[in-house]
Amino acid sequence: MNKRWVACAVIMLCLGIAAATNAGAEKIFPYAYQQTVLENGLKVIVIPMESPGIVAYYSIVRTGSRDEYEPDHSGFAHFFEHMMFRGTKKYPGRVYDQLMTEMGANANAFTSSDVTCYHLEFVADDLGKVMELESDRFQNLSYAESDFKTEAGAVRGEYMKGLSSPRFIMHETLMNTAYDKHTYKHTTIGFGRDVEAMPTMYEYSKSFFQRYYRPENVVLVIVGDIKPDSTLAMVKKYYGGWQKGYVPPQVPVEPEQTAERRADAAFKGRTLPLLAVAYKAVAFNPDDRSMAACMLLGDLAFGETSDIYERLVLSEQRVQYLGPDFEPSRDPGLATIYAMVKDPADVDAVEEEIYRTIAFYQNNRVDSAQLSDVKSHTRYGFLMGLDTPDGVAGSLVYLLAIGGDMGVVDQLYATIDQVTASDIMYAAKTLLTPEKRTVVLVKGQ
Amino acid sequence: MQDRRKNVVRLAAAIICAVGLCGQSWGIGTVELPVSSDPTVSFRIWFKVGSQDDPPGKEGLAALTAAMISESATRRNGYDQILKELYPMAAGYGASVDKEMTVMSGRVHKDHLDRYVDLLLQAIVEPALTTEDFQRHQTNAINYLDKTLRYSNDEALGKQMLYDALFANTTYGHPEVGLPTSLRLITLDDIKQFYRTHYTAGNVVIGIGGGYDPALVERLKTGLSALPPDAPAVVAKPVPARPEGIDVTLVEKETQSTAISIGFPIDVLRGDRDFYALWIANSWLGEHRNSSSHLYQVIREERGMNYGDYSYIEYYPHGWARQFPSPNACRRQQFFEIWIRPVQNEAAHFALRAAIRELQNLIDNGMKPEDFALTKMFLKKYVKHYAPTTDMRLGYKLDDAFYGIPDHLQTAEKMFEELTLEDVNAAVRKHLQTANMRIAMITKNAPALKEALVSDSPSPMTYENPKPSEVTREDKVIAVYPLKIPAENVVIVPVDSTFLR
Repeated sequence: MNKRWVACAVIMLCLGIAAATNAGAEKIFPYAYQQTVLENGLKVIVIPMESPGIVAYYSIVRTGSRDEYEPDHSGFAHFFEHMMFRGTKKYPGRVYDQLMTEMGANANAFTSSDVTCYHLEFVADDLGKVMELESDRFQNLSYAESDFKTEAGAVRGEYMKGLSSPRFIMHETLMNTAYDKHTYKHTTIGFGRDVEAMPTMYEYSKSFFQRYYRPENVVLVIVGDIKPDSTLAMVKKYYGGWQKGYVPPQVPVEPEQTAERRADAAFKGRTLPLLAVAYKAVAFNPDDRSMAACMLLGDLAFGETSDIYERLVLSEQRVQYLGPDFEPSRDPGLATIYAMVKDPADVDAVEEEIYRTIAFYQNNRVDSAQLSDVKSHTRYGFLMGLDTPDGVAGSLVYLLAIGGDMGVVDQLYATIDQVTASDIMYAAKTLLTPEKRTVVLVKGQ
Repeated sequence: MQDRRKNVVRLAAAIICAVGLCGQSWGIGTVELPVSSDPTVSFRIWFKVGSQDDPPGKEGLAALTAAMISESATRRNGYDQILKELYPMAAGYGASVDKEMTVMSGRVHKDHLDRYVDLLLQAIVEPALTTEDFQRHQTNAINYLDKTLRYSNDEALGKQMLYDALFANTTYGHPEVGLPTSLRLITLDDIKQFYRTHYTAGNVVIGIGGGYDPALVERLKTGLSALPPDAPAVVAKPVPARPEGIDVTLVEKETQSTAISIGFPIDVLRGDRDFYALWIANSWLGEHRNSSSHLYQVIREERGMNYGDYSYIEYYPHGWARQFPSPNACRRQQFFEIWIRPVQNEAAHFALRAAIRELQNLIDNGMKPEDFALTKMFLKKYVKHYAPTTDMRLGYKLDDAFYGIPDHLQTAEKMFEELTLEDVNAAVRKHLQTANMRIAMITKNAPALKEALVSDSPSPMTYENPKPSEVTREDKVIAVYPLKIPAENVVIVPVDSTFLR
């Protein structure tokens, strides 16, 4: 473990805040925080940090496109994110917008496969008003069917915007090919046919809200120029009456993949060929060294300091882009290597180079310097982003969404620190196997 | 009165620079932002060179040269070795190239400062300028234009087509990345010559912020003193031809939706009192990626036509990826822009009319007192989010040095207090108009759209769900709103033919 760096980070980034629940030099997360669970199950994480009167306020709903298990309802979590800005009886959308405008708040939201996150930055004096508004819409959302249908048009526009990108085509094809049962089969924005049908689903949208927008399924993170005790008291006041009622989605389990899958997709335009080689990975588990090893393996084998990157991108220049995405998901996701190949005739050879690289890591141990470098990179990369309230809250979103608890942050990095060269080799051998592979090629006109 | 105030602002900036904040009186200029509690150090090394310095026929030379410094080998290390050294630091450096500025920026934790500075200085002072790196960057740039920009992002293509039209036949009139033909003509010798001319000690300003020791500034100055001392000649400010009437470029391609960009040059810069007056009006009309934008309310919120609708009073790079503007894209000539995100092809004419009509309404009627009061309240707080980090604050300090003004964001806060509704509406009337504009649309079936535009034929909106009567009433007005576009002002460009000149 790189204790020197961790200790240094605590000293330098803690900025004078007294240690509380997470004190201890062995922890990576450098700020003191309070994590509290209200009686209704709402998890609240309060993190004071020095900031010029600025607060970041993140409402993390542990629901994403993963939770869209009902047929013909893909894309609904994202669509619903839009509806959350349509207001309540007390604060209709226009009034909500006006109050946000008065506060000069930077308010937005995003959705992915595992999370829907609503985030605001504002000046500390407005914390009470923000909390009143946010707690109101999470408990009392109300919108007319006409507003619902209008918003469906905006989502359709977003979908059309995506269609003009070959990367979108790649992602859509990859997920659809790699999965049979699990809801990761569709992208976050949903299948095109379901996006078209959204205006007809007003009643369903109310059921979606009732089932998923419940305190047990939400983590509230408040970071910045705040006083923990009074902030927590305010949270209890505004969110304490929120009724339990979360109904877990019946997300199908993906059967084990037993043979390689391949798909080609056409992009209506010009593009260099886009190649994705993806493997079924394991679900997020901060205690799992093989998962942590897989995360590191992606960067070691295919990152910009890897041998294959040096050869294909820098020396031979056969590939315009090469990079891994081995980040874990709540359920078993994909560990994917992406390449943009310069010469269409060279695609097969590039694919073979990827397999040769995997074989190397299956049969050889990484040296200790490489392993140390990738761990250092992971830690510094995390800590360097923690310089603003928004940076702190934003860096926690995915870990809290898929892990559910602040404890997973320190635990994940502790597990990463324990990863050995043998773990890396084991991950390469057991995860990156042909029968777990899906290969997608997108070609232009 | 207005001009006198403008001069006061610039004079104040001059005084601040003279006492050393800008530090440009003593050889290599510095812009410093010490923050002792910051465990990181941010660098923004500014060379006063940009795509405006590209020789005719060699468009893209400034950007390629910057890539040969920021993402390439040095005389001491191959680029792969540099990446390996930076990797455990989770640090890096890169160059941004705009019309007038090239900035090498990066950020590192103090733990790694010494080695990082070595690498940064070597990149700038001792670039290897190898054939291998040159081929890589040249090919990547051509592929970006040929494939990505033309076919993968209609919004970016629409914006680029607008910018090129606004500044056609000037030094601003081509993409910073270059043109496919000219990129092929650039040689490694061109790069070497451009580097020798523009990467000089007389042409650089060191921007540094965070938890650094003052000795580091001296180290950087000493390191950069190895560059030739001269400063190259300054390119004249471009004088764009003002549009006469509405000029439209229709880029025809296979697409399900139409991306729209509208604009015209304006003669207002940061530091001008009118800039801040326009900022207020523009925030109401089209605050970037914000539901408070009036255009957003009219086109997206009430009608559900697209994902968003915004407007700008200065260049806003990478708007689809950023919530707040990036610093270090300063320009002596700015423009007004409306960005309509893709709408269904059938609704493009209506959306264009709606946006232009809203702008004209603002000019004719001015802001309402209640909108003015609300927008001022919004901006006074919203502007605090512009520069939350040392690195961003440093970026704005460099911008202030470019424009020769004191703290732009602080000035804005002061102006938001000071400016009256009359000031704002007068600035709108003075600088904004709808009669003479340029428009770029990325669309399918361009001939039919051209016919509709030049004949001003009605463009009624239809919806899948009923709309409130006030919306449908207004739709009838929008649907016949005259744009008066002469047929000779509409050009159709097949997407394959874009950037061919």
